[in-house]
Amino acid sequence: MTSREAAARRRALLCVAPTLIALGALTVYPGIWVIWLSLQRRIPIFGVSRFAGLENYAFLAVDPRFWSAARTTAAFTLGSVALEVVLGVAAALAIQGQRRGRRLSISLLLLAWAMPAVVGAKLFEWLYHPAAGLINVVLGYPINWLGDPGVALPAVILADVWRTMPFVAVLCYARLLAIPDDVYEAAQVDGAGRLATLTRITLPLLGRILLLAVLFRTLDALRAFDIMFVLTGGGPAGTTETLTVYAYRALFQTLQLGFGSAVSVIVFALVMAVAWAYLRLLRAGTVAA
Amino acid sequence: MSAGVRLAALIGLLALGGCVARQESGPVTLVFKYARILGNADPLPGLLREFEAAHPGVRVRAEALPWTSDDQHQFYVINLEGRSPGFDLMMLDCIWVPEFARAGWLLDLTSRLGPDELAPYFPSAVASATYDGRVWALPWNFNVGLLYYRTDLLTRYGLRPPQTFEELVEQVRRIRAGERDPSLDGYVWQGKQYEGLVVNVLEAFWAGGTGLLAGDGTLFPDPARAAEALRFLRGLIESGVSPAWTTAADEELSRRAFGDGHAIFLRNWPYAMDLFESPGSVVRGKVAFASLPGRAHGQRGVGSTGGAHLGISRRSLHPVLALALARHLSSEPAQRAIALGAALSPTRPALYRDPAIVREHPAMPELLRLSLAGHPRPVTPYYLLLSATVQPEFSAALVGVKRPERAIADAGKRLGYFLQAVR
Repeated sequence: MTSREAAARRRALLCVAPTLIALGALTVYPGIWVIWLSLQRRIPIFGVSRFAGLENYAFLAVDPRFWSAARTTAAFTLGSVALEVVLGVAAALAIQGQRRGRRLSISLLLLAWAMPAVVGAKLFEWLYHPAAGLINVVLGYPINWLGDPGVALPAVILADVWRTMPFVAVLCYARLLAIPDDVYEAAQVDGAGRLATLTRITLPLLGRILLLAVLFRTLDALRAFDIMFVLTGGGPAGTTETLTVYAYRALFQTLQLGFGSAVSVIVFALVMAVAWAYLRLLRAGTVAA
Repeated sequence: MSAGVRLAALIGLLALGGCVARQESGPVTLVFKYARILGNADPLPGLLREFEAAHPGVRVRAEALPWTSDDQHQFYVINLEGRSPGFDLMMLDCIWVPEFARAGWLLDLTSRLGPDELAPYFPSAVASATYDGRVWALPWNFNVGLLYYRTDLLTRYGLRPPQTFEELVEQVRRIRAGERDPSLDGYVWQGKQYEGLVVNVLEAFWAGGTGLLAGDGTLFPDPARAAEALRFLRGLIESGVSPAWTTAADEELSRRAFGDGHAIFLRNWPYAMDLFESPGSVVRGKVAFASLPGRAHGQRGVGSTGGAHLGISRRSLHPVLALALARHLSSEPAQRAIALGAALSPTRPALYRDPAIVREHPAMPELLRLSLAGHPRPVTPYYLLLSATVQPEFSAALVGVKRPERAIADAGKRLGYFLQAVR
């Protein structure tokens, strides 16, 4: 390395230093602190503070409420992301197929996405109202949406899909606009039908953007909190309690900082693992393309 | 002395002077944290102006708390644990007082109060403001669980309000058989997984002759009776006496169903009466309340008590003024104004016979009787831990995914683990 290169490198380090310091102070330090907390029994208002090693994790390993929350988180994530992708792609294709009013459709879609999650949840609280709710009135049959342990989670998923499907739809629509017309014309010349065009051209070309949308949505869904907190508070029988709701109850309601941090650390590890897996997939996709 | 030291000393002196000057001459601002009061006319601004008029140089800033009880609790915990003395007087849900007192966040009022100062309040309200033999707050408003019923329907079938749940079930059968209205539910109450469910289950425990926490700190002193109470509640839903949506019902959902004329009986708090009697209500003039039913082979029914207290932050810079404000707000005239302007019940029994209030709310003497009979929820600093832990278990028993015995056993096991760390 010449001295000039070394100087350039030093200057570069100096330039990124503020960012590194900010990141360190805002994410790395609190992250390490939470991990440290999770190794303790700490309930400050009762003056409890002692090192507990892996006690909190050992309790979680055999804690049925934790495993129920983990299952709920998995089911919520799989269910909502799958529905969002299918409906999002369908919506994008439908808008592309529209001759008129595309802008209006996009605006309407974005309206749902722009709504704060809590407002969306309140809206669905009314839609799901057992007697006066629009859904039950239209169905003409009283479904106990938020009070039946078999129905509550699907009801929560549905509310989440309504709000976040537009995100997938808009991303896909933008990608669809970027596919040149001559690709489709060539397909037509080759005698490809509608189905073949969809499965052989459109969907493969949507692949990467979909992967990105799925990544964002999965990470959000794994940390989902507001929608179930407002709609069901985690009930009935804890069937809609996700890991973040469980962590919230431990941290902020019952003030068990050590125990709650252990749950948070697990959520954090889960999110990191999923993000890492997706990024590998994306990178593999780049190499292949 | 170097120039730097001299400068520092000067700045220090200036700062000190500034502080002293501010304390002596500038107006004092008291910050009062409270949950917005619902009702036809919010009496609070007027009460605060009265206080300011009586204390020249003092301003009171009333700051609204978040909407839900959970969020309010979280707000206090973060601010009080973070040692920010951002407020002087706090409106507290009575279930938080022992917890906040134990955490050292509340000013001990014991020696500051006059010898008979607490005598005019409900003894149970004072009990819930007391922890470890010391008083930490002044009772501000009072709540008790009630059984609302439709007077028109009961009269039509020659019935009196039920003394036991067994009678209630029978009355629901008779009235529904006679009315033949499929949209008329029997008994609606709060079965959603939240604090309200714990209150309803506690009332069922008491009617069945048991409790959640015994005087000596034993959890579920009689698990068999506790399980029986849960099974009875589940039975109400299974048999259709209570609608299936009870498992998602909070106070408002059940209050609306009853207020729309779709239920014969309702368990709720006193605030609901004003809404049923308001102009335009379809049940206006057709509603009365009575004691919650007991059980045929158990105890008489009692409602759970609740309500709000006024506590003073230990970090308040103006504890004397804050206490004066708390006294003013919980005084007899102030509580009369609140009872008349808002749907909140006083913590002073004398006001339940006050002519001005009885004229507005004719049921006040009956409410007094039920308030005096009411039972507090367990008074313990671990109440929220207790409640948050039993909620999913009680809910599981109610929706039928867990046998009641199992739910009680699981709740006891979890609580044991958490409490062993703090006791």
